[in-house]
Amino acid sequence: MRISVNRKKCTGCHLCELVCSLFHLGVINPEKAAIRIQKDDLNTSMNTPLVCRQCKEMKCLEGEAVEEKLEKEQFLWVKARADRCPFDSLSVFGQDAYHCDLCSGHPQCVSVCTSEAIRVKK
Amino acid sequence: MLDRKIAFVDLSAESIRTESFPVELRLQYIGGRGMNMFLLSKYYTPSLDPFSPHNPLIFGAGLLTGTLGFGSRVSIASKSPETGHLGDANMGGEFGAELVKAGFSHLVITGRSPQPAYLFIRNGEIEIRSGRALMGLDTVETQQKIRTLLGDDRLQAACIGLAGENRVRYAAIRSGLKSAAARTGMGAVMGSKNLKAIAVRGTLDIRVSDPRRYLNYYQRQLQKLMQSNWVQALGKQGTPLLFAAANAVGFLSVRNNQFTTVGEQGYQLEAEALEPFSNGMVACHACPAHCRHRFVIDAGPYKGTRGEGPEYASIGSLGTKLGNLDLENILSAVELCNRYGLDTISTGSYIAWAMELYQRGILDRQKTGIPLEWGNGTSILKILEMIAHRKGFGDILAEGSFARETLGTSSRDYLLEIKGLPIEMTDERLPKSFALGLATSTRGACHMRSRPSMDALGLPQAFLKKIYGGPVSNRIGSYNGKGRMVWWHELLHAITDALGVCRFQTAFSSPHALQYRQFARLIKLATGLEISSGQLRTIAERIYTLERMMLVGDGISRKDDTLPKRYFEEPIPEGPAKGCVIERKGFDHMLDEYYRLHGWDSNGIPTKRTLNRLRIKI
Repeated sequence: MRISVNRKKCTGCHLCELVCSLFHLGVINPEKAAIRIQKDDLNTSMNTPLVCRQCKEMKCLEGEAVEEKLEKEQFLWVKARADRCPFDSLSVFGQDAYHCDLCSGHPQCVSVCTSEAIRVKK
Repeated sequence: MLDRKIAFVDLSAESIRTESFPVELRLQYIGGRGMNMFLLSKYYTPSLDPFSPHNPLIFGAGLLTGTLGFGSRVSIASKSPETGHLGDANMGGEFGAELVKAGFSHLVITGRSPQPAYLFIRNGEIEIRSGRALMGLDTVETQQKIRTLLGDDRLQAACIGLAGENRVRYAAIRSGLKSAAARTGMGAVMGSKNLKAIAVRGTLDIRVSDPRRYLNYYQRQLQKLMQSNWVQALGKQGTPLLFAAANAVGFLSVRNNQFTTVGEQGYQLEAEALEPFSNGMVACHACPAHCRHRFVIDAGPYKGTRGEGPEYASIGSLGTKLGNLDLENILSAVELCNRYGLDTISTGSYIAWAMELYQRGILDRQKTGIPLEWGNGTSILKILEMIAHRKGFGDILAEGSFARETLGTSSRDYLLEIKGLPIEMTDERLPKSFALGLATSTRGACHMRSRPSMDALGLPQAFLKKIYGGPVSNRIGSYNGKGRMVWWHELLHAITDALGVCRFQTAFSSPHALQYRQFARLIKLATGLEISSGQLRTIAERIYTLERMMLVGDGISRKDDTLPKRYFEEPIPEGPAKGCVIERKGFDHMLDEYYRLHGWDSNGIPTKRTLNRLRIKI
């Protein structure tokens, strides 16, 4: 299961970011969300949602003696893992990185995306 | 959420003071427009010159701005240089939410910077910086330059363009590609303070009182809202969807309201005509409706024009109102206004006025320098440039309604305005409630103050009675109960603006959308404040009557709650609304009912009893 993205449909409303931090941390803070909208808001108005692609081969964990299955369920990661992501898909704020744990199978971001730019793909 | 601060910035003294936002004031004025009015009332006097350093420029984020709260708007208030009375404008986009994330609810800016300046706000800190490098830049270039200077592409800025720098009386404050606090000349006030921009970056947590319940409640309301036909249509076509209906019933401003429809020619400006230029929709912060097109013109004389929008209000104001049916020219004119930082509605209205004077020979080419003929797209683009630069005849038109002093007595009747603010892209001789709403609006002619769109739906009378709490006719041409309708919507919209919620997601447009009950619940779950639906309505009354009291101080009363002469004296000459006119007797009947419900006397002055009940001291 992963979140698929159609950037043409993304309206840049940030609701995905807001519910992500609210669901996981109990606060609203788009900086602390596992999904992030990259905006070209002063030029083309195109928006690009960036979120973990749930790669089979997890380059992000390379060199770490950890169990991938357990790490996949964690939301709060460290910056070093984001630096290893080949797609720059992990959000970083300070020394923390935020990883999409798929909200135990019910991604909150997808439930508020009214333009259907992000969807669950099984 | 209740720990957001109020900052007082004195640009003359280069001093900054930060205060907490007392809960007692939250309970009385909520935030956003409500708190703006409380703050403005402390400075507002009849003799206060809008361009004086003492005139405050106040930015106020709504209480729910920055949350999931169905929009994330910011209100901007000051004494208006366009009208000489109450100034108030409201903007979507990202700026309001960024202000909240930086820890601020309100900014009160006074004084005048000795040098061009901009403010940089970051997580509780405010700095005054030199704005020299920004002067002369358009509103998009200004934002791009600030991001480069500060090295942060997620930073948000509200700024002015050349129009604001040159104190064009209807200059807007702008943010992003399209968002504008456009009406009543707030950009001109900002220019008079030598303040080019306010840059904000916030990364603070917004703490929610009951996160789990709040999220669940939000998702339920979201699902309900997204089932509404109105919100679904808005998300596909934006406000241009309203054009076809307005044209079909004879509710458009055409050639400065000499006509009210363009008949079969209207297809050129309908929402469908925009589709070839659109490549998707974009949204304001936290808005599920996403009503803005992103557009680009790929070929032809306007090749390379790109932006977001446009709104139906801009299409009407720079289109039919000027006899202009060239959509690509209109898109370019709207973009030019956005870049210069001009209010598209007022700008179009003053040009329409000049065009009618030109038609009647009161103005000629010697005076204007260019042919101000109806529908002349080249002249429209040229006059916009002349206004923003204050060149030639543009310098006269940059004065807005004050240009009457230069243009003389014969020009007066052709400027359609109320309390100094020109009427907009529509003609209200058919829908009587809409007409009353323009006449009573506390910021001058404005459809956003009350517009009871539900009057156009012909809903069952029993249903209307349930919503409005009293008898209301369901015929759009009837005067009965329309005072009640306008009163009810003025109050709901005052709370909407105090919360930072977008009108389009409230009972502005659909009886099933958000109103007091849902607002009360969202406030409780987000902030912990217990405010009942009934208390919210009392707060709305307090906001509206406080606004009225500032106007009363200016000498405004029943005589000013009126409509342009054309509405009373000239029946619509042709089209589907042919013969419609506002009858004085019917209008007075609406006004009497409206004053009674507000608790104002028959002259439109709030009674002592009302002021005491609402605890307004002014």
